[in-house]
Amino acid sequence: MGFKLSTLPDRQNIWPWLLLAPLAIYLALFFLVPLVEVGIMSVTEPPPGLANYERVLTGSLYRKVFLNTFGTALLVTVCCLLVGYPLAYLMSTVSKRAAMAILLLITMSFWTSFLVRTYAWMVLLGNNGPVIWLMQTLGIQDPPPLLFTRFSSTLAMVHILAPYMIMNIYTVMQKIDPSLIRSAESMGAYGRSLFRHVYLPLTAPGIANGSVLVFVICLGFYVTPVLLGSPREQMAAGLIGNQIEQFLAFGLGSAMAIVLLVVTLIILGLYHRRFGLDKLYG
Amino acid sequence: MTINNKKKTSLIRPNRRLFLQGTAALAGASALAAPSIGRAQSKELYINSWGGPWLEAATENLFTPFTEATGIEIRTVSPVSFAKLAAQVRTGVYEFDVTTLGGGDIVAANNAGLLEPIEESYPGGLFQNGVGSHAFATMMAWRTDAGWDETPQSWADFWDVERFPGGRSLQRYPARVLPLALLADGVAPEDLYPLDIDRAFAKLDEIKEHVRVWWTGGAQSTQILRDGEVDMIGIWHGRYFEAEDAGAPVDFTWNQAELDNAYWVVAKETPNMEAAKMFVEFATSAEPLAGFVSQANYGALNPAADAFVPDAAKPRMPTAPGNVEQTFGQDMLNWGGDPQEVAMRFDEWLAS
Repeated sequence: MGFKLSTLPDRQNIWPWLLLAPLAIYLALFFLVPLVEVGIMSVTEPPPGLANYERVLTGSLYRKVFLNTFGTALLVTVCCLLVGYPLAYLMSTVSKRAAMAILLLITMSFWTSFLVRTYAWMVLLGNNGPVIWLMQTLGIQDPPPLLFTRFSSTLAMVHILAPYMIMNIYTVMQKIDPSLIRSAESMGAYGRSLFRHVYLPLTAPGIANGSVLVFVICLGFYVTPVLLGSPREQMAAGLIGNQIEQFLAFGLGSAMAIVLLVVTLIILGLYHRRFGLDKLYG
Repeated sequence: MTINNKKKTSLIRPNRRLFLQGTAALAGASALAAPSIGRAQSKELYINSWGGPWLEAATENLFTPFTEATGIEIRTVSPVSFAKLAAQVRTGVYEFDVTTLGGGDIVAANNAGLLEPIEESYPGGLFQNGVGSHAFATMMAWRTDAGWDETPQSWADFWDVERFPGGRSLQRYPARVLPLALLADGVAPEDLYPLDIDRAFAKLDEIKEHVRVWWTGGAQSTQILRDGEVDMIGIWHGRYFEAEDAGAPVDFTWNQAELDNAYWVVAKETPNMEAAKMFVEFATSAEPLAGFVSQANYGALNPAADAFVPDAAKPRMPTAPGNVEQTFGQDMLNWGGDPQEVAMRFDEWLAS
């Protein structure tokens, strides 16, 4: 009996895995196979070998673009956190109905197409847009250009990604047992020390989850930085697109994509060692 | 099916057409009407579309008349993608059969073996396995509300941020931009080719910080001019007239406008070869081409089309008498370097 149990999996335990089969097959066909092809392309085109990787890892342009990509993703993550944390806190303290109303407002931006949101920022921040007009009305001579700068692309990306951060933090904050806060208060923790020693550590999983999601999604942003950003601050996805669209450099583009993927996996790996990836799902 | 088994790679690429045809094949296998389905497939031609005014003019003057004449339905695929043309030949899965390429891309595409050999449909019409369709111009345009005392005349004025302060924009496409820099540096149009690449980059250094947008799409260029995001722009003439017609305070000059030719090409080894070649011949024949260029303000490359172009359409055509003398052409075969390598250098220059 014991022998049987240890070698043959329990019949009932197979079912959940079988249910996953369609998804696994789908992912294997439409995600893994193309990914492997990309990997193969990166070492076979145009000459077989590692020339593409050498170029990506040593060329000044690529290094600059990768640094800029990770720098931008970090900046956007920090901004999302600064915006999202207080909002999530507000949601966790108001009535359920008010929290739902705020949640609705936040998710509403998900219902608008990505491109529309990007173009909306163009209208708002443009030379003849309301923001510049307001600055001029307030007496600012020669307001600085807002569009096509690092400012405009960062702002738009924060707008698009902040909901991911807010929802992650809100879920964690909602589950915090109020009695923990009360007992901390009864022990003499107030204000800043209550926040630093009790509340912040309790919400840390939400911060970590939200940050890793925002960071990783931001690494692959394409349209927003291309349309709103400054020409000097390119992101990796835009450059990969350009390599392929303009130069037909499939090999070089693939190598860049693989490098981006590997670096992202390394970051996720570090995160996993520190917090555990399984926490992302609950 | 459109999968070409001769190709080395067999990527699994989900694709609308493949899916539709796969479904059609399944339907055919289960029904008895298989032969008619097989025929129905060859009655469709997929064309890569530029959208906007191009698509309107092409639909009215080229696509609809072609369908009426041949019974072959035309479907359009957007956006225009040079990379997709290459990917199609590589994978054997075709999303479009016919596309148009500019002078810069057609040489690279033909060298890469992406183009099906094609017949000359009018004398002198063949270039690098493409048939010449129409000319378009990259010209200088500006906002009339920029507050300058003078009117800019040439690319030298475009570079002159002292006399004409304000934001600039150029296309992110070095094959077109480098010659403009050399003109601004005082090179005569007839001495441009082969290009002095280093000198062009040195001249570009001067304007770099003033170029707020390196535009990548036609609609984008119209938008930034119309909305006043920049004060001066190097823009395709058709896209400029869109801004003018929208009532924006803008003006332009044909002086030193850079002519570029667009060519119809057939994707190498496309399963729709016959219909594709028929279409290219039709689209470059005198009357349909004349209608197309008259509506979209292009200049017809087939001289026979001129007879059908109404005089009223000519002022907006870069190739019309009075305009064409002020323009200059491209010489892609004597360009002065490998355009791909220069384009990579341009990218590096842009990010530095």
